[in-house]
This record gives sequence, C-alpha cells and structure tokens, in this order.
Amino acid sequence: MALKALDIYKLLPKKNCKECGEPTCLTFAMKLASGKVKAEDCPHLDEKVRELLGASTRPPVQKVKIGVGERSFTVGGEIVLFRHEKAFFHEPGIMTVVSDKMDADTIQEIVADVRDHLMVRIGLDLRMNGIAVCSEGGSPSAFGKAVEAVEAVADLPEVLMAEDPAVQEAGLAVCGNFRPLIHAASHDQYREMCALAVKYGCPLAIRAPDLGSLARLSGLCAAGGASHLVLDLTSASLHEVLNSATAVRQHAISRTTPALGYPIFIDTRATGLPDAALICGVLKYGSVLVADAVPKESRKAFLVLRQNIYTDPQKPIQITPGIYRVGNPGPGAPIFLTVNFSLTYFTLQGYLEASGFDSLMLIVDTEGLSVLTAVAAGKLSETLVRDSLKQFGVPDLVSHKTLIIPGYAAPLSGRIEDETGWKVLVGPRDAADVAEFLEKEWT
Amino acid sequence: MTMQTLADWIGEVRSVTIGATRADGGTRTGTVTVGGERDLSFVGTPPTGHRPLIAYEICDDRSLWPAPVNRFLGDRSSDPGEWARWAGQEYAPDLIRLFLTSTRKRGFSDPASVTSTVESVLQATGLPLIIEGSNDPALDSEVFRRIGEAGEGERLLIGTAEAGHYRSIAATAMAFGHLMIAQSPIDINLAKQLNILLREIGLSYDRIVIDPYTGALGYGFEYSYSVMERIRTSALKGDDDLTMPMICSAADSLTVKEVREADPSESDRISVSWELYAMLPAAIAGASIVCVRHPSTIAQLRAGIGALWSSPGGGA
Repeated sequence: MALKALDIYKLLPKKNCKECGEPTCLTFAMKLASGKVKAEDCPHLDEKVRELLGASTRPPVQKVKIGVGERSFTVGGEIVLFRHEKAFFHEPGIMTVVSDKMDADTIQEIVADVRDHLMVRIGLDLRMNGIAVCSEGGSPSAFGKAVEAVEAVADLPEVLMAEDPAVQEAGLAVCGNFRPLIHAASHDQYREMCALAVKYGCPLAIRAPDLGSLARLSGLCAAGGASHLVLDLTSASLHEVLNSATAVRQHAISRTTPALGYPIFIDTRATGLPDAALICGVLKYGSVLVADAVPKESRKAFLVLRQNIYTDPQKPIQITPGIYRVGNPGPGAPIFLTVNFSLTYFTLQGYLEASGFDSLMLIVDTEGLSVLTAVAAGKLSETLVRDSLKQFGVPDLVSHKTLIIPGYAAPLSGRIEDETGWKVLVGPRDAADVAEFLEKEWT
Repeated sequence: MTMQTLADWIGEVRSVTIGATRADGGTRTGTVTVGGERDLSFVGTPPTGHRPLIAYEICDDRSLWPAPVNRFLGDRSSDPGEWARWAGQEYAPDLIRLFLTSTRKRGFSDPASVTSTVESVLQATGLPLIIEGSNDPALDSEVFRRIGEAGEGERLLIGTAEAGHYRSIAATAMAFGHLMIAQSPIDINLAKQLNILLREIGLSYDRIVIDPYTGALGYGFEYSYSVMERIRTSALKGDDDLTMPMICSAADSLTVKEVREADPSESDRISVSWELYAMLPAAIAGASIVCVRHPSTIAQLRAGIGALWSSPGGGA
C-alpha cells in the first residue's frame, strides 16, 4: 500500500539537514508521498528504510521510455483504473509491423507512411508512433537487414520482435543505441535477453503463460538488472486480453502484486480482429500496441478515440477567446456568439463550415464551460458579452448590429439587448441545426 | 497460479426483457434480455450477466438521416417496414430501433401515420422493437399514445424521456405495459434524479433503460464513456437508482466533420469505422444496447462483442 506523508516522516532521520534540497524532513515526506522526490534523495536513510520507501512511493505502474529523440514516447506512470478517478496520463504507442520477409522497398514504404501520417485536431498533432520489426525466418542477418531498412528511412521508436537472443542481437547491433523495446524474454531465455537489455540500456518486454508466472519472470528480470519492463499480454482471445489487462492494472494500482506494476504490451494481430483489439488496448490499459498497417479509414477513428480517452477529464480543453472566421466573412456576415469550451467551438465551427455561409464566431471566455453550464453558473452574462464585443472590436468588423446567441442562452437574450444595444437572435440549441437556421433567418 | 481480477462489487445491473412472443401476448419471434451484470463489462470468465446487444436504427423520414447511410441504402430507406425486414434478414441485428423522424419535422400534422408506421414495422419484422417518438409537448401525448396502442402487448422499449419531457412517455409505458428510455445530458446525478422522478410517478425501475447521452467520437465521446463507467460502477457498488441497463447510439458520430466530408469512395468504410470506434467502447464502458445506422457496422460490432465475450469454457 502507498504510505501517507506522516508514515513516511516517522521513518526519516528528522534532522532537517536540508541536504536533500528540502527545508525540512516533513516537506520531504510530503513530496515523497506524492511522488515528487525520490527516496534516494535523502543521504541519511539506511538501506532497509530506503528500499521500503522506494517500493511504496514509486508510481504503481512504472514509466518506460521507448525510442530516442522527437518521436520517442513514454508509457506507464498510471495511477488509476478509471479515467474519471483522475486521468490516464501516457497514451499507448501504436507500432506498425514490418517483417524481415518483406523486401526493403515495402518496409520503407510502410515506415515512411508511419513517419509522415499526421492528423491535427484541437490544435494537437496526432500521429502513429513507431515500427515493430518482426523476425519470421529466424535469420540474424535478415533481421539486421530489416532493421537497417527501417533506420534508413526514419528515426522512429522500434520494437524488435525476435525471441532468439542471437537474432535479437543482430537487430540491436543496428539500432541498440536508440532505445528500442526488446521483445521478448521468456522463462527459457530471460538471462540472455536481460543481458542484452542491460548491455544496450533498452526496455524489455516479457511474456509467460499466465500472470503468476509473468510476475515471477518480472522479478527475475529486475534482479538481473533489466528494470524497465513491459508485460506482454497478447492472446488470441480478446476476452483474455481484456481480463488479464484489467487484472494486471488492478494488481498494480492496489500494489497487491508490485511485480505486475509495468506497462502492458498487446500484439493486436493475434486476435484476428485488428480494430476491436486496438479499441480494447486503448481503453483497457494497453501501452504498446503492435498492429499491421492500420487502414486509412480506421486510423483517424483510432487516433481520435485515443485522444478522447487520454484527455484529462477534469480539465476542459479551452479555446482562446476572440474572433474566429469561417470562410470569408464580409461586413454583412452573421456573427455567432459562443463559449470557449473547445468542443463547443469545434462543433459549431464544423456545422458553420458545412452550412456554406461565411460567418464570424465571437468566442467569449467562460473558462472552458459549455453553454448550458456557463449560463447556469452565471459565467455567460450580458456584461461578458458587452465587454467581449468591445474588446474584440466587433462593431468595426460588421456593418450590422445583430448577434446570434446559442439556443441554451435564450434566457439572456433580453438582458444582452439592453446591455449592448445590439439586436439578439436566438440560434438553435443544437449546432447541427445552424444551416437550417441561417436559411430561414439570415436571407 | 492464475490471477483473478480483484473485484469486490456488491450490486447487480437489473435484467430487462424487451419484446413479447405470442405466448406472452405479443407477436415477436423472440425476446431479448439485457443486464444482470455483477462485474465490469466482459470481465470474468465467463462474463457476468447478458451479452451486450446491437440495435439497428431506422426512421420513417430519411431527410433527417445521415447522408452516408442514405447513400448506402438508396431506395431501401423509403419504407420503414421494408427497411426493417431487409435489415433484420440481411444483417441480423438483435433489435430494430425505429425513429419516427416525421414527427420531428416542422408542421407535422398526420398523427394517424404513427399508428400505421409502427404497425407496418411490427408486421415486417419479428425482432423486438425500440420506438422513438416525438419531442414536442404539443404532439407528445397523441404520438406516444398511438405508439403504445399500436404496440400493445409487444413490450416495446419507448424513448426518449428527458427531465421536462417524460410524462407522455411514462404514461404510455405504464398504460400499455412497455419499457422506456430515460436520457440525461452526460451527468450521473441528473441520470439518477430522472430515475427517481420516474419512480415517484409510478414507473417501476425494471421498466427503465438509461441513455447517458452519447457524444460524438472526437466531440465529447470521452465524457459519455466516463459517465457510463461511473453509472456502471455505482450500480455495482449498490446504488439502486442507477442499476438500470444502458443504451447508447452512434448517431452523433456520423455527423462529425471527418465522416461528413469523407470522399464518397471511402464514405462507407469511414462511417463503419466511426460507428465501431464509438460503440465497441460504449459496450466496454457498460452499455447493454449499442445502436448503429450503417448496416455494415453490425457484423464488425458483433465480431468485436463476441470476441470480448467468449471465453474458454464460458461459451459465447
């Protein structure tokens, strides 16, 4: 179980020597409890206490970094079972498969596609993450060549999938300095695989027939010096994947089985249902998802689902208040007032674009609240509207004095008219109806 | 040693049966039951309760239906009875959900058509039905009475009630022995309040299905996902006011920019992807009935649900 600050304080030397950089031992205890400092930062702890504090204050799911440079990514560091309890922090990386049976051109085409595919949403870049290189023939030289082909095209994070340590090392000889994930150690050959992970400083995926045996293997590997582990829960049964991932996360978060406190690896190809397995991996605790090239049409849905699930549920994404243009609005264009909750903004923007009307959007600062909530909480008020019209120079942009407000802000229409001297039109409640609304009211 | 999930749940989602066969006074060829879960969705070997079901959505006025679906269906969607028969036969959903979209149009003035449409769909398919009526206080009482009457004995699931718009629906459900959908705007407390309100006017909890409101994928879906997980875990923790099964629809995910503006040559596959990427997560979050509009989504969704459900020794 996680220790509370006061429990930790009791174990500290209480000298207030400041050598750890904190003013007092109590401050250090509080920071240690929330994971902001490490037990090792205190120079006066005896070995036993340090070990005890280390084990109970490190994050329940260890962080593991894969790759180097701009496209590298970190997984793990999770602290909850459900995103509404806090948030999911590190979204899973999706690793597209190339095989050492493919010719170099095919490999490079796939790698370039992963490198270049970009979807921009809500101001964020959504990308595919890396490449999983698979050994199929068991030949070290073929594997090394495939890794070379990947490296020739892009500096993407890699998973090296070769169970034979000799084959694995042929890949590591090419890209071992770039922190690829080594896949995978088993009870049969974990000594050799651990040695490779230590030699190249790489994270290591491990697999075993059941979770108990996997927990034992993780202990053996950690003892062997490979401490950045990833647990492979691949199964042909999607039911089994979901259940074992749920069990692993529950055992990790509750610290019932610290040996399972590592990120989860799922090879989605095993299930024969690529989309369903990707969905399951995103929702239920996957951190490294291996998949055949995801078709263009489901790629966006995948990226958007992952972005949705890994959004901080306690922090509404906000848009900077101001004037936004749809199309090429002239001085006669309709002007829509709405709130700075980004979902509201993007939804309205989408429907305005589809309507074919050039228009202006006046986004006012409701601290990221939706229309309904902002009206109820008094954040959207006639004075805010008055001040925003002035602040963003709206009277100079249009030749009319008509403001369209959201349907849910209808109760404010009279007060806005009184306060601003503008005519108010109450728009639809649902942004989907703006086209119909404009046709009726604005022509 | 095989490790188990660490569950200490005490509650259970209520079981609700939709549809009635001749033996029960209806005309359906079979009935379906949802709910009964005592753990998270698909967790446990075998999983607890009933497998999530797929409803296929149709309507009686397709001018209010998503364009990609209309393009795919062509003339099939002009007659709701024929549409329901065809979809039931070709795609085998578990239920049909009929939206009386004609009643949502301005100037709707033909309430008698409600009766004939519901009757024609009842005759065309033997599947259990969900019927969505009007959303206008001036029409509601007549529209829902007609739905209730036309489907008397069929144990329909009727929707959709919201706070401020539930009386006609609840009255119909009680008078004609139907079930009803209670929708709240992505808020667990409002969902609970509405259920309590319905109980206080005399509707028993085993006649309610919760619609948590499903935001479009990419446009608020995560809020719906989390509210479903919260409703489910509350039920499992024993909160009786939230023990009803949930229903979710991908409808909004078909109106997002990415789907609407898809190249026509990819429109079908993109529609199916977005429906699948919204509804399989909904089932994992705890929805007992997931609804789609593109018929090609049904097979993929069924395969996904089947794979999550089936387990060695547990059967499918």
